[in-house]
Amino acid sequence: MLYTVSAVQILALVDAFDDLETRGTGKLKVAQFMAGLQDREKGTFAGDEWGEEDTRFLYGALNALSLLDMLHLVDVDKAVKHVAACANFDGGYGVNPGDESHSGQIFTCVAALTIAKRQDLIDVDRLAGWLAERQLPNGGLNGRPEKDEDVCYSWWVLSSLSMIGRTHWIDREKLIGFILRCQDVENGGISDRPGNMVDVWHTLFGLTGLSLLGYPGLDDIDPVYCLPKSTIERVMQGIA
Amino acid sequence: MPPKNKGGSTKAKEAEVKQQSSPQQPPKEPQVIREIEWQQYWATNPVHQIVEEKGFNHLNPADRRTYLNLELLRSTAHIDDLSKKSQREFWKQLSDANAPLRSALRPRDDQWGRDRNGRDIGDYTPEEYAAYTRKKSRISELDLESTFFRRDRERAHWKTKNPLTGEIYAITEDDIKSERERRQELTALRSELYGAKMSTYANDPEWDDVVPIPQEEPEGALAAIAYADDYAEADTVYVAAMAYLRAVMVLKEHSPRCLQLTEHIIEMNPAHYTVWLYRFEIVRALNMPIPDEIEWLNDVSLEHLKNYQIWHHRQQLLDHYYPNMQSDENAVAALAASELEFLADILEKDTKNYHVWSYRQYLVRKLGLWDLEDEMRTIELLISQDVRNNSAWSHRFFLVFDNPHQSTPGSHSTEYDSKVPADVIDREISYGQEKIELAPQNQSPWNYLRGVLVKGGKPLGTVREFAETFITALGEGEDKEEVRSSHALDLLADIYKEAGEKDKADLCLRRLGEKWDRIREAYWEYRRRMLEE
Repeated sequence: MLYTVSAVQILALVDAFDDLETRGTGKLKVAQFMAGLQDREKGTFAGDEWGEEDTRFLYGALNALSLLDMLHLVDVDKAVKHVAACANFDGGYGVNPGDESHSGQIFTCVAALTIAKRQDLIDVDRLAGWLAERQLPNGGLNGRPEKDEDVCYSWWVLSSLSMIGRTHWIDREKLIGFILRCQDVENGGISDRPGNMVDVWHTLFGLTGLSLLGYPGLDDIDPVYCLPKSTIERVMQGIA
Repeated sequence: MPPKNKGGSTKAKEAEVKQQSSPQQPPKEPQVIREIEWQQYWATNPVHQIVEEKGFNHLNPADRRTYLNLELLRSTAHIDDLSKKSQREFWKQLSDANAPLRSALRPRDDQWGRDRNGRDIGDYTPEEYAAYTRKKSRISELDLESTFFRRDRERAHWKTKNPLTGEIYAITEDDIKSERERRQELTALRSELYGAKMSTYANDPEWDDVVPIPQEEPEGALAAIAYADDYAEADTVYVAAMAYLRAVMVLKEHSPRCLQLTEHIIEMNPAHYTVWLYRFEIVRALNMPIPDEIEWLNDVSLEHLKNYQIWHHRQQLLDHYYPNMQSDENAVAALAASELEFLADILEKDTKNYHVWSYRQYLVRKLGLWDLEDEMRTIELLISQDVRNNSAWSHRFFLVFDNPHQSTPGSHSTEYDSKVPADVIDREISYGQEKIELAPQNQSPWNYLRGVLVKGGKPLGTVREFAETFITALGEGEDKEEVRSSHALDLLADIYKEAGEKDKADLCLRRLGEKWDRIREAYWEYRRRMLEE
């Protein structure tokens, strides 16, 4: 599932869905594979035929299927119901119903609900309040209460806030400052926190975070798909 | 070998002179085998030495003839072409010349080859060379023995009879053991001599029937992986093991040896997704005792705390095991005890490990541990050790409000549940308050308290007096105002709003943005605007 989602995202990025038809197996087949991983009773998605279930997979499926215009192959209502059941008393979302709220999981749940056009199920202010609580005095964001800050949460938290229109609830300048301090100014790249080893993962989420913060010189990023806005506009135009 | 010398030949004498003279002009004692071979060549080809060193023209007529005759001798076909008479003359001339008929071949520069380190074997000392050839013969010897082993095993497989004894060929455990040792020795020797590498599995006679399937990159792959030619040793072992894994997975073989193979691969790369799933298939197919597998898994888990696969494997094992033992109360209790003991060990290393907590909830659901006193006590202990452990708070909420004996099945975490007994709600409110007192600026119990009130269908105002104890003289000047918890202010804002005391609510939110939580100023401003709506 995860590799398939990545493949669809890359094809979207390089505008190659036509090639998927002519040179690949065709998008219907790709979509059918992902649709086949849905548990039609519970609405959840498994990562593969062996069945580890997680809201990551559910989001991944809705992400790729919507890009391929194949959402009709799955039971979106059931999926939505499952995501809604993952909401917690503190306003956040976890991996499974009852699991602790976690910024990364909130991203997958909010994005899934956004794709399904069911943001109405989110207690926006409560969730955004919890997300805003993730900012620490040094400007960085953490993933759960009382945990350390990490650049990747610039993306998980900020994209979620962006989807529900509340990015202004955190201190923009302080977060920009934090991300910039995580740069390796000699060799490039961004790390999880200042002074650590840089890697691709944190560089991506540092950059996409800066983009959501409107940092100058960066293309706009789509908070739901983590792809350039221009890519999503092109793909969605093709669908409409 | 020195030439036979019966005297007579000038050439031979010259050679002799040369040899005798050598003690005076210090003879270079041969150091390496290249020099030894050259020395043998010169010693057995004295005429050739003159030609090579001084030129053909420096030979006297007799030696010239000898030289040409010797050259002719090297291609016997040409001698056969001669007439009988000429042949007789030819041999006579050679005999007269007393030239060495058995002579060493002229050494070629590349005749020795290079060893695995690129060193020319011609540069070996005689001792080194002797050791080298000894190893080479050992390889041939072992190779041959190995061939015999394979042949006999083949015979045993087809139940062939030994024609001499009339007995059916058999392969014993000892035979396999010796063969394994043989191959290990072979591998070591080959690696030493040629740098050739063999995998553990190619070395193991028990794996001979499996043809490994190497990783293939599709032709013209977009993102081919650039493997270095000189793998690190560990990579080679891993790649080889993976090739065997692919092979047995294709064959869907579920055997003890495959189980060991998965263990080996998991040791090297525990994040490998497929190998875990295959391992589970084997466990099921072999009907292995699940407690044994769990015990093995405990060790792997403690080594790889952030791995997803180990937890999924554990769940699969339990899903598979539970239905068969469900009816045995003691067995379930024992399983619960050992699982919780393991979780305690692992939480000691990382009290907020998400996978562990997620699994803990699964376990509570699966084994029905809702009313287990130990479980609640453990969580209280963890919270008392670190009152900021949000994971433990989250688990407590789950234990209390998802317990099917005192809640409505499927009730969301964010909604009122009439089935939760009032004394449970009161107990949890007190618990939350007690922990807030310990660390007022800790958001977990504040969130918990709100969650409990919602579940109990109680107004936020229930805790109004409690929350107010954290605030003194709000808005009465910087020197008088005291706020022990911004979370208390946050909650009070909602409590006052609920009670219709807008001004007081507004004051809380304003002071939060102005002073007590400035980083979220925009958020508090938004909340103030919401008061008006």
